[in-house]
Amino acid sequence: MKLFEFQAKEIFEKFGIETPKGVVFDKPEFDSKLDGVGYPCVLKSQILRGGRGKAGLIKFADTPAEAESYAAELYNCGQGVDRLLVVEKGKIKSEIYLSVTLDPAAATALVIACADGGVEIETLAKDSPEKIIRERVDIDRGILPFQAVNIAFQLGLEGDLRKGVSKVIMQLYAAFDAYGAELAEINPLFITTDDKVVAGDGKFVIDDAVLAKYPEYSMGREYFESDAEFEAAVDGIPYLQFDGDISLMCAGAGLTTTVYDLINDEGGKVANYLEFGGPNYRRAKRAMELCLKNDNKVILIVTFGTIARADVMAEGIVEAMNELKPDVPIVTCIRGTNEEEAVEILKAAGLEPLFDTEEAVRKAVAIAGGKA
Amino acid sequence: MSIYIEKDTKVLIQGITGKEGSYWTEHMIGLGTQVTGGVTPGKEGQTVHGAPVYNTVRRAVAEVEAEASMLFVPPRFTKDAVFEALDAGIKKIVTVAEGIPLHEAIQIRSAALSEGAVVIGGNTSGVISPGQAMMGFFPYWIERVYKPGRIGVMTRSGSLTNEVTAMVVEAGFGVSTLIGVGGDSVPSTRFAEMLPDYQNDPETDAVVVIGELGGTMEDEVAEAIADGSFTKPVVVFMGGRTAPEGKKMGHAGAIVSGGSGSVADKTKLLESVGARVAKRPRLVGELLKEVLGD
Repeated sequence: MKLFEFQAKEIFEKFGIETPKGVVFDKPEFDSKLDGVGYPCVLKSQILRGGRGKAGLIKFADTPAEAESYAAELYNCGQGVDRLLVVEKGKIKSEIYLSVTLDPAAATALVIACADGGVEIETLAKDSPEKIIRERVDIDRGILPFQAVNIAFQLGLEGDLRKGVSKVIMQLYAAFDAYGAELAEINPLFITTDDKVVAGDGKFVIDDAVLAKYPEYSMGREYFESDAEFEAAVDGIPYLQFDGDISLMCAGAGLTTTVYDLINDEGGKVANYLEFGGPNYRRAKRAMELCLKNDNKVILIVTFGTIARADVMAEGIVEAMNELKPDVPIVTCIRGTNEEEAVEILKAAGLEPLFDTEEAVRKAVAIAGGKA
Repeated sequence: MSIYIEKDTKVLIQGITGKEGSYWTEHMIGLGTQVTGGVTPGKEGQTVHGAPVYNTVRRAVAEVEAEASMLFVPPRFTKDAVFEALDAGIKKIVTVAEGIPLHEAIQIRSAALSEGAVVIGGNTSGVISPGQAMMGFFPYWIERVYKPGRIGVMTRSGSLTNEVTAMVVEAGFGVSTLIGVGGDSVPSTRFAEMLPDYQNDPETDAVVVIGELGGTMEDEVAEAIADGSFTKPVVVFMGGRTAPEGKKMGHAGAIVSGGSGSVADKTKLLESVGARVAKRPRLVGELLKEVLGD
């Protein structure tokens, strides 16, 4: 789970990394006294999407009046800004990129640094890969001081700054390690005019597999872009919201993704991506309920299950139809273990089961386009 | 022939007395797998489908022959179980658990690499050599998917593997060994690391790779082709060709951002070294016919 900036910074503070003095406000609250944070200040929308600066969701205010007006503007911008982090605007000399992640191929942790901070690392990797510093860290041994020192020297730092940044590298790694994180990123890491090293931003992604250890980060609506995505996540059903008119109710991540591709190839538009395979294969009703929340024209069900038996899925689908009475047509392509029984079950319920994924996709696209 | 597992491979089952372990042990034996024993602490003396149960892997290997171990163990105990098998000298380990903590997955892979072991998984159905033996859960009796033959299959997926492999079989081929490396972002063994075995298997004519957006595993296959270490035909299908940037679509391992890891980039790279990339599952069978001159 990706944490909000203010939460990432709380973790950084816990591990000794300095962050700018700040205060958090929940919509609609705002107090321009800023709890002691001085002016000029920066109002930072606490949303999980990247590119906040470009989207105009970060504002600089010189006066309380300006801050008030920006706060109102951000809360009402229609982009789901429900919380603001307001920080003092420091005097910055330079910006560094710093992160810790995992390297699946090398089977190590990986510290990534770059003297040009403030830019997205993907952009840096594309435009100037030679500037990126990579240091692999043995996950059993942990980061050693010499590695942090090496990185700091490669960043071109000297004296106290070299020591200060090395220390932050050690601290960031310690936080990454302690939480079993997927990613701990400071971008930018500020070097202030008085040579302090301060985390200007924070991204922290905790591995979902260990999230239960941290009840303070329980799953809330605020972590999701839509109600449906949140509800599905609570139920443990993988779901993504799109704005088309074909709802996918498929089994298996790879197969669902493939059906998504085939829909796009045929000129269709997906309303939602939903998987009800694996541990969810008996939950057709809940899956269909989620699909029906969309303004869709057809539900396309494609499965090829082995442990997730075709007959069990077919029964679940028929039960769901009887209870939910969907007002849109349903196209099925259900294969795998006991598929012969599945066909009989679907036919008895008045459906016309298909066997070929591409044919099912074409049919769904035709229905959505009013051609079938 | 086959790779990784064949009819003579002696297999231990860790977690054999559990519901899932017991159920799939029966089917593994049903296909012909040599299950020599099982492990569940505190259950020594029992037998499961004829296989004797031991308290620990160390005890098991002292009593019966075992060169491979199949784990039916929940994700949070997987690291311990893998290390227990490694400690007992076992070099082939398959773990099906989904959701092994990432830092532990790194430790598992790191240990396997340094000890020369091949751990497959997690988040996979396992490994099967149709008509011979399997470690994992495959309904091997479904002939239109698990037909013995001369095509190696490596995959990150479950249902999609059935979809694609059914096309391989429909085109008149069968499977030598199917290896599910798993859908997690830190698979213990990567596609390219299995290629030398397929290269050396005289009964594998070509390899089908079922990949996905995100990560670099397909790129590593391209490297193995480019440097000449793998010379048999390769046909690749990848899901997520039209996935929007930044959305976590598909398996945990599949996220594309800023252009790297996209199916378009992978396709370009694979085709530049002579691999064939199928846009749709159905075309995998067609491309196999082309490359094998059928």
